[in-house]
Amino acid sequence: MKLTRRTAVLLTLATSLTPIAAFAQDSVKIGYQLPLTGNTAQYGQGFHEAAEIALTKFNASGVLPVPVEIIYEDSRSDAKEGVTIARKFVDDDDIVGVLGDFTSTVSMAAAQVYKKAGMVQLSQSASHPDFAKISKWQFRNITTQDQEGAVNAAWMIEKGIKKVAVIAEQTDWGQSAANGFVEPFEAAGGEVVYTEFFNRGLADFRSIITKIEEHEPDAIYTGFFYEDGAQFLKQVKQLGADTPVYSTSAAYNDTLIELAGDATEGLFLTATFLPSRQDENVQSFVTEWKKTHDVAPGQFPAQAYDAVNIMLEAVVRAYPDITRESLRDAVAETTDFPGVTGNTSFDDNGEPLKELTKATVSNGVFVEVQ
Amino acid sequence: MSKSRLIKLGLIILVFALVPAILVGFDKGYYYQIATIAAIFMLLAASLHLVTGVAGLLHLGHAALYGVGAYVAAILGAEYGIGFTIGVPLAGLSAAAIAFLVALPTMRLMSIYFAVATLGIGQMLFLIFQNWVGLTKGPNGVMLFSGLNLFGFEIDTDLGIYYVVASIVALSILVLNRLSHSYYGNALRSLREDDQCASAMGINVTVMKIQAFVISSFFAGIAGALWAYTTGYISPNDFQFSQSILILTMVVVGGLGSLPGALIGALLLIILPEMLRSVGDIRNIIVGVMMFGAILFLPKGLFGEVSALNFARRMLGQGWAAKKGEKGIGWK
Amino acid sequence: MFDPYILQQLAIGLSLGMIYALMAIGFTLIFGVLNVVNFAHGEVYTIGAFAGLMAISAFGPPLLVVLFIALAAGAFAGFSLERLAFSPFRRFSDEASLKSRAMREATLMSSLAMSIIAREAMEMIFGSQFQSVDLAYLINKPINIGPITIVNGDLIIFAVTLIMLGGLQWLLKKSPIGLSIRAVSNNALGAKYCGINTDRTIIITFVIGSGMGALAGILVGLYYGAIFPAMGFAPGIKAFVAMVMGGLSSIPGAVISAIILGLSESLSTSFMSSVWSDMVAYGFLLLTLIFFPQGLFGARRDRV
Repeated sequence: MKLTRRTAVLLTLATSLTPIAAFAQDSVKIGYQLPLTGNTAQYGQGFHEAAEIALTKFNASGVLPVPVEIIYEDSRSDAKEGVTIARKFVDDDDIVGVLGDFTSTVSMAAAQVYKKAGMVQLSQSASHPDFAKISKWQFRNITTQDQEGAVNAAWMIEKGIKKVAVIAEQTDWGQSAANGFVEPFEAAGGEVVYTEFFNRGLADFRSIITKIEEHEPDAIYTGFFYEDGAQFLKQVKQLGADTPVYSTSAAYNDTLIELAGDATEGLFLTATFLPSRQDENVQSFVTEWKKTHDVAPGQFPAQAYDAVNIMLEAVVRAYPDITRESLRDAVAETTDFPGVTGNTSFDDNGEPLKELTKATVSNGVFVEVQ
Repeated sequence: MSKSRLIKLGLIILVFALVPAILVGFDKGYYYQIATIAAIFMLLAASLHLVTGVAGLLHLGHAALYGVGAYVAAILGAEYGIGFTIGVPLAGLSAAAIAFLVALPTMRLMSIYFAVATLGIGQMLFLIFQNWVGLTKGPNGVMLFSGLNLFGFEIDTDLGIYYVVASIVALSILVLNRLSHSYYGNALRSLREDDQCASAMGINVTVMKIQAFVISSFFAGIAGALWAYTTGYISPNDFQFSQSILILTMVVVGGLGSLPGALIGALLLIILPEMLRSVGDIRNIIVGVMMFGAILFLPKGLFGEVSALNFARRMLGQGWAAKKGEKGIGWK
Repeated sequence: MFDPYILQQLAIGLSLGMIYALMAIGFTLIFGVLNVVNFAHGEVYTIGAFAGLMAISAFGPPLLVVLFIALAAGAFAGFSLERLAFSPFRRFSDEASLKSRAMREATLMSSLAMSIIAREAMEMIFGSQFQSVDLAYLINKPINIGPITIVNGDLIIFAVTLIMLGGLQWLLKKSPIGLSIRAVSNNALGAKYCGINTDRTIIITFVIGSGMGALAGILVGLYYGAIFPAMGFAPGIKAFVAMVMGGLSSIPGAVISAIILGLSESLSTSFMSSVWSDMVAYGFLLLTLIFFPQGLFGARRDRV
């Protein structure tokens, strides 16, 4: 009984997983692993839409005689699924490059597969300090927190802020956000009076805020994504604390203002993407995005939009002889790619070099600080 | 050749010849990956089966012990250069040791109280994975660069890894099978049915429960080490409460108290979501609906305990039959 | 005498505790009657929040109406939940089946399956992100009392918890339906022999318990301004812990335990990193289980 059931299950598995007839022979295929369901689906869905915008635009432009296709697979931000998808992409000989995943942890687990198989992996958001160092196959186009932290530290010093409390989420990203800020800030003579981490999705920040206020800092430096950010800012306001808050590009999202209202007023942050920037690229992306959304795209969809375009540009460069190897080299060659999040180049490690803009919230909108 | 031997032989051929043959035939890393994950979760389900199915202790923190094994193996491998051969047993032993420590005070708790205690312990272990940055690298996770090195042989082909994982899992399941279908297993079942009665019959209830819990955790630790070595990177998110629930679901859907059921449940819950990949975002709802359907229409599970025991009796027919002048084991 | 800092942390802990208590009440009520853990309670809580949110964005009614809509949605969800996930497993009404492990585990898993379906469906329909809530509806307007700051939501939640607790005590002790709930909880078979319609009583318990869960959902959703499909998970675990600490079937016990949990969480932030604050809650749980195995306020049981 056991035997027959197991065999049956395996046979069904085998037949159902056999790839369905391939698409047009000569299209170029790129894989994209991202969380389309589960707790982080909002980010994955944003990536999906941004990628579609970029891809449609590219295929319509006719730069290449053959269309490019992106195959999306849902990883649920679960390492188990991420690795399985990576194996699946690697198996498909038509897939020459991969984008994603969203969280660093899943990206890193999948990276082990890509490293072994030799497939270029470009993540729009993996910010783990070691991600790009895994092998020559890993790239990311999100700025490292060393970069953002240094800009923020210099900004605060410039404003005469000496005592800072640091709070960041307890993830690899949050850790690097805190370290990336604390080092240059202390080197510049600033003092970090209090450092605290919180678990992502924490509902109640009031205890932490009270504790921060106890230390009477001149400013609070925060490493959070916009949802936690909205909670934090609302509760800061609620408790009547008026310490200025500085943050990173991860908090940059119009939804933040929608969720937290005027509690966001006066938030300072660094960003690489400003939907209001008068730039042809930015505006065409924002216009397309707004066809299906009420609010402008945030930092993350913009990252995905750029990641897809960087990959597409590399495809053009490698064409017609596109192999996993040649595409990897083409991605590595990216210099001064003019994306919506600024110009991107990769250094030897596959880390991006970007310029950051400073922004603040004023009258319910993000504005650039000159 | 007797029927039981035939089945055993069939299973061995299936695991060590047929499945690898299919895998080699397709030659897709994807199938190897699914086979490996399925094997790891079959071991997890089988080990939880011993505690929850046979001994009847609702255990909501199994994933945390799985995590202990994974972390021990990964940290030993990454920081101290202790490879697979020693790392795997050590991972199992550490998980068992931690299980023993937490079992001492909690094992006298009953039913739902025990379940909540294991939930609490599971969450505490998870907090340690997540926040004790000095030891576990916290949310950054541990990257394990050393490959799978068995007694000095570097195993890096997909097929080799499958064979190593399948052998360890098969061996562990064999042990669990012997434990749950023996005097020992029957004694555990008696605890589940009525522990006061069992105690009156001379069974040391607390000791038996602790043993079952520790043994189960040992195998969960082994499974964790296998996960760490086959993935090469672990992070706390792999061992969340939801994973404990996933393993519990495998055991219940397959049939509480039935080892083949637990294995089938694990296979199903790993393979089904993969098969449904093509239907897109709705796949998780379908998994939920199928789970509900299985509970509603197959209340005993896909392979209920009674059929499992009958099956085991047939398989172990010779061993259990009454010998001349002795009493047989089992039921008539 | 007291440092305002400590006072502020106490106030925060109290309001956190009230939030856990709000959810624990319905949870405990359902557990008390059936002796089963309802894994889907967290989703009922979320459904309440979403129902209220949809009402707000559809026609912007006054807060009280929003609360009643959430209550109604929760009651309906509870009814459906009982019919779908619990009643099919009560095929046999003898005592052995009613109290048996098999039935408990079946309903445990069926309610878990329901919760997966409900959560995934909500994620598909609404997306996993925080929903935007009309800021005017948020109940987080600060109120200063001397050196400490609380918000109007604290008062509302406190009042609702008190009303729920008092109402439930009255219902259980005085009203006929409450008496039958207690009878079923005490001995389902005996209640049946006395002519109590056990099936109907169980449905009513679910309706009341889930309505309360949904009300908790919308209140907490508006309190934090955070409504999203996975919102029920974390408070669900805390409510579970509070229920056990309180002694499983004691509703006042669960409320007091929930407040202890909230206080310990906020106070622990003062001397350790907030990421460890859950450790305190679970530590409390284990200590309670080891030293007061029948719960802090539970009725004495033979064995636990």
